[in-house]
Amino acid sequence: MASVLKRRGRIQVRLDERERVALLDIVERLTVHISRALATTPRAYEDETKQAEYDRWVRPEIERGYEADLDVIRDALSAGDELLVLTEAQVYAWLRGFNQLRLAAGSLIGITEDGWESDATDALRAQPEFGMLMALGWLQEELVAALES
Amino acid sequence: MTTATPVPVENPVREDKTVREPAWNVIVWNDPITLMSYVVLVLRKLFGYDHTTATTLMLQVHEEGKAIVATQPREQAEVSVARLHAFGLQATLARL
Repeated sequence: MASVLKRRGRIQVRLDERERVALLDIVERLTVHISRALATTPRAYEDETKQAEYDRWVRPEIERGYEADLDVIRDALSAGDELLVLTEAQVYAWLRGFNQLRLAAGSLIGITEDGWESDATDALRAQPEFGMLMALGWLQEELVAALES
Repeated sequence: MTTATPVPVENPVREDKTVREPAWNVIVWNDPITLMSYVVLVLRKLFGYDHTTATTLMLQVHEEGKAIVATQPREQAEVSVARLHAFGLQATLARL
């Protein structure tokens, strides 16, 4: 089973072959839906002119950052190693990437309110994206805990 | 070409007018997906808060829907919002 540990200042993520393949599949399946989640992101400014400037000058760099974070995840998972040793910068890239993927999954299954985990209907739990949301959330929690340990 | 002889100024008047930039609030908004522990981590990393302060702000976001996490000059506030967006948090800035 997957595990995350901190040893000598590095984060070690252990994933077996099946888990690595499943995680890569989640990344690929949700990446194409990130733009949908971004469409619901609130604006930085209320003012139209300032927002237009932000969209023109700042947002493209942020979106390039999202792509770079997902590349970091894909590269690590594609290497085929059972034990992945990540630097702190890589862990932050994973965390940001997983958050984007979770937002995409949540958007796909229409989650708009807190409490969805406890109030989820059987139909919601049966959605593949629900499982992806939970799996990515578990890994995110483990990575945060490892960083803070 | 002539050279003006410097004349010492007695009691020079200094104009120490500090132009204060208007402050802007950096606001983080609740979303139902992002993990609480992740929000705490991001607030600590970006703003240097200790765990208790970051947790208090995160709980305010969760319970009240939003929290002001910093008050800064506009340029700095915009950078903060952009960094929060890079972490996937929902954030806006508003003039005080």
